[in-house]
Amino acid sequence: MILDIVGSALLLLGLLLATIGLYGMLRMPDIFHQLHPSGLVTGPAVILVLLASVATGSAEIFTSALLVILFVLITSPLSAHAIARAARRRPPR
Amino acid sequence: MPEVVVTIAAGWATLLLFAGGLLLLRAPDTLHRVLALDVLVAIVIILLTTLSYLRDVSYYIDAALALALLALTATLVAARYVTRGGPF
Repeated sequence: MILDIVGSALLLLGLLLATIGLYGMLRMPDIFHQLHPSGLVTGPAVILVLLASVATGSAEIFTSALLVILFVLITSPLSAHAIARAARRRPPR
Repeated sequence: MPEVVVTIAAGWATLLLFAGGLLLLRAPDTLHRVLALDVLVAIVIILLTTLSYLRDVSYYIDAALALALLALTATLVAARYVTRGGPF
């Protein structure tokens, strides 16, 4: 019962964060401004949706989700940093 | 989790996929397109995870892991391509 409520709340909170991030990306004018809401989508939104796997009660799903969470924690800042550095060092048109 | 919540979440993630497609179509530049594809991959990971909860199988999340790995490589190579004019 409590696990159901916690899982649903985590799932919907993650989707809400993804919606806010996408709306911000559609509103921001510049690539450096757009990187900020994109970090919200690729980082915390994905992690919250994957953390909702505690409510499924299946050990396989939870272990796989934990692996994906670890991977996302490493790679999400890495790709954002690569894009920001490329935008900084890009040759002027 | 209640099945209704997971179904609503899957529908919501599909709508987010449409918003990401709009972002990709509005991109004026190569780097904007790379960023939009990065975000689209994140949304597809969310969708695959929700599908895994819905059908109660675990291998959709493994597919999401492979997709995240490919997206990291693609983003790094594309960023290097924008900076140096070539992938290497």
